[in-house]
Amino acid sequence: MSASDPAGLESSPHLVSSLRWGRIGGQFLRTVVSVSVTILGLLVLTFFIGRLLPLDPVLAILGDDASQEAYDRMVQKLGLEKPLWEQFLNYVWNSLQFDFGTSLTSGRPVIEDILRVFPATLELATLAMILGTGLGIPLGVLAAANRDTWVDQFVRVVSLIGYSAPIFWLGLLGLTVFYAGLGWVGAPGRIGIVYQYDLEVRTGLYLIDSAISGHWDIFADVFSRIVLPASILAYGAMAYISRMTRSFMLEQLSQEYIIAARAKGASRSSVIWWHAFPNIAVQLVTVVALSYAFLLEGAVLTETVFAWPGFGRYLTTALLRADMNAVLGCTMLVGLIFITLNLLSDVFYRMFDPRTR
Amino acid sequence: MNRFWNFAGCVAVAAFVGAPTALAETPTDTLIMARNIDAISTFDPAQIGEVVTNEIVLNICDSLVEIDPEDEAAVVPSIAKDWTVSDDGLKITFNLVEGAAFPSGNPVTASDVAWSLQRVLTLGFGNAATLTEYGFTAENAETDFVAIDDATFEMNLSRPYPVMLILQAIAANRVANVLDSKYLMDKEVDGDLGNKYLTTQSACVGPYALRQWNAGEVVILEANENYYGPAPKMNRIIIRHVAEAQAQRLLLEQGDIDVARDLGAEDLRDLNENPDIEVVSAPMHQLYYMGFNNADPKFADDRVRLAFKYLMDYDAMSETVMAFLGMPRASVVPLGALGALDEAEGQPFSLDLDKAKALLTEAGYGDGFSARLFIGTLPYASPIAQHVQENAAQVGIDLEIEQMANAQLFSAFRGREFDTVMLSWQTAVPHAHGMLSRHAVNPDNSAEASLTMFPTWRASWFSEDFNRRIDEALFERDEAKQIEMYKQIQRDHMQKGPFAYSFQLLDTAALSKAVTTWKWNAFRAYYSDVEKD
Repeated sequence: MSASDPAGLESSPHLVSSLRWGRIGGQFLRTVVSVSVTILGLLVLTFFIGRLLPLDPVLAILGDDASQEAYDRMVQKLGLEKPLWEQFLNYVWNSLQFDFGTSLTSGRPVIEDILRVFPATLELATLAMILGTGLGIPLGVLAAANRDTWVDQFVRVVSLIGYSAPIFWLGLLGLTVFYAGLGWVGAPGRIGIVYQYDLEVRTGLYLIDSAISGHWDIFADVFSRIVLPASILAYGAMAYISRMTRSFMLEQLSQEYIIAARAKGASRSSVIWWHAFPNIAVQLVTVVALSYAFLLEGAVLTETVFAWPGFGRYLTTALLRADMNAVLGCTMLVGLIFITLNLLSDVFYRMFDPRTR
Repeated sequence: MNRFWNFAGCVAVAAFVGAPTALAETPTDTLIMARNIDAISTFDPAQIGEVVTNEIVLNICDSLVEIDPEDEAAVVPSIAKDWTVSDDGLKITFNLVEGAAFPSGNPVTASDVAWSLQRVLTLGFGNAATLTEYGFTAENAETDFVAIDDATFEMNLSRPYPVMLILQAIAANRVANVLDSKYLMDKEVDGDLGNKYLTTQSACVGPYALRQWNAGEVVILEANENYYGPAPKMNRIIIRHVAEAQAQRLLLEQGDIDVARDLGAEDLRDLNENPDIEVVSAPMHQLYYMGFNNADPKFADDRVRLAFKYLMDYDAMSETVMAFLGMPRASVVPLGALGALDEAEGQPFSLDLDKAKALLTEAGYGDGFSARLFIGTLPYASPIAQHVQENAAQVGIDLEIEQMANAQLFSAFRGREFDTVMLSWQTAVPHAHGMLSRHAVNPDNSAEASLTMFPTWRASWFSEDFNRRIDEALFERDEAKQIEMYKQIQRDHMQKGPFAYSFQLLDTAALSKAVTTWKWNAFRAYYSDVEKD
């Protein structure tokens, strides 16, 4: 054991290895516990929200006209007369098996509904995210690098409009101009009626399904319909991402190491993309992940305007119809989306920031 | 570089200004309709409660008889080719058509008819009230609905109700949709009589069959090739879910759909000027009204409720917010029903703040009062409520509007937990009794009775006088005398009734010029009669 190595680590490679695995194991355990506690909290929250909302699931099933006897029978059938703790335990047990019951609005198991509507939103949100991120980050960097010039002003105005314009209004305007006026994009809806039967649904992502099956006419139809709602969602995401990117970048560009790099003769673009940008990557991961989560959570208004049979509309309809099984199932999914994206963000943090390893 | 941008700019401007926008065309053998179908939750006729599903199910499932497409006050044969009534008026015998078969191949028999009606009572959903209202009960269902043989079905009544009323209210209603009993019993789960199966599928016979329903996306009906009746003109009916009225309008104008069903007043007004589009309306037997909680002493006073009828400018509202959507109506019986007051007598009220103030003062509320007004999510609910709120404020009444989901609104109304409420009520019967039996009759006002299917009970309003007079009118055999009795009841109900009716709602559709025949009435659209160029 040397004086410079009081713990004797250098002389014991096995110990180093076991300590490293122990740290990884500890991190994994902490993550599992944290996720479990979050899910349990989510279950508690969704269950009690379901009980507190002044919506009557019995009336939603029976109709406004039902007699009191029929009402009482349904209360028993749904188990709503049981003590709250018993209902909660049943709910937890069923939820852990992904059994959220049957949707009152579709008559199908909620999980089946979610598996049907979620791909529609996933496809829309992912395309929007690719567009929004692909445009937002370069625009933000461009604006920061050209601070207070017309480029910066232009990006800021474009972002401000995207940030503040009501998405409902943008959707209708887009439809009026690009669908009704110019005929550049397809009609509202996810797929043309004539193709409804021809597409073999494998992943639920129609662009991918049509490409896999080689139906390029369907691909073109689906693309012509998704491009406008995705662009409108992307505009909102782009506005947020570009503003955040600009702000992060401005902070980095004022740091001393940037001045030093410039003094050493590094080119302007090299300083921006090779010195400053990697340092904002960690923050951008959070921004992009949050934007994606919000899009996946459901772009209700966009889905409504574009008759898009997605997750956001499903959740909203369920809420308005007092379809609590569907509401709780969807809420759980939203929670899981946020948990998953947070975990992914953590993974990316470790990739981009050595200090977190 | 500059030349490139100049070129690109020119292309963009040219495309914007001069791009020819070819109108799409829908297939000639298919009707494509845009409609908000969020409300669909089941295709079980025993459970359906929504207007949109009712219309669809009446086009895929035949009942014993159906409302005459040419005259909504009459009925025409359907599964029953004819019927006879016993001398005492207590028995109706239906003879069924021959050769009708379900998609499963099972023949349509009287046993299926009896089973279908009995299951409505056994399951006890809201639709059971259609039968219990006329004395049918789950306990007596087997003796009330009897299959004499395969082709003869007998309906036994507890009282000699007017035959036409029974035919309209029951035999033409979805509760008499004839279901494939053998097939459904094979699909039964936990004694549900096929309810789970019928949630997403159909097992009946009609001009169309349900091919596909994706909730919140599309309903596809296909012509039934083995239909016993006349073959439908369209091979396919596609109902696409488009919730947004503006999107419906754009789709119609672009020729991507044939019919738009949920347009707002502004859009309809514009489309009415478009020579390529026809706007058609049918008055429904559905009334929009304001209800008052009579458990509250101030609303228990007839004069206070009457005062509210003078707080709306009916004509102005019908020309703006309710254009193409509703026509002023103050009588409890909709125009078009047997015994209804005519248009003028059925709407004697107008905006008159002095009259309202005088009535309130007479009732002892000259200084006004405060109350909550619950409204739902119908697009016109909020502007109508605000209009009444503004006028009410001028006579000292402070109305606090609370907008909520319809399910929440119904829950509050049924639970008697409201001050005032605005919502609509529809009857499936073109007969004065259809509305009066729920909006004027209250058999028992006690809380224990829980007669939640009676809006009168919900409003805690009870009148022995109205109960008696409506019963007497129902069994009056002299039709002229009966109609006069109904008219007098309506006049009195307008002065003393528990509700302030404002509009009889219209079902309005915008049709593309490709649609040459569109047949409908207050109760349904007849898809099998639709024709296109």
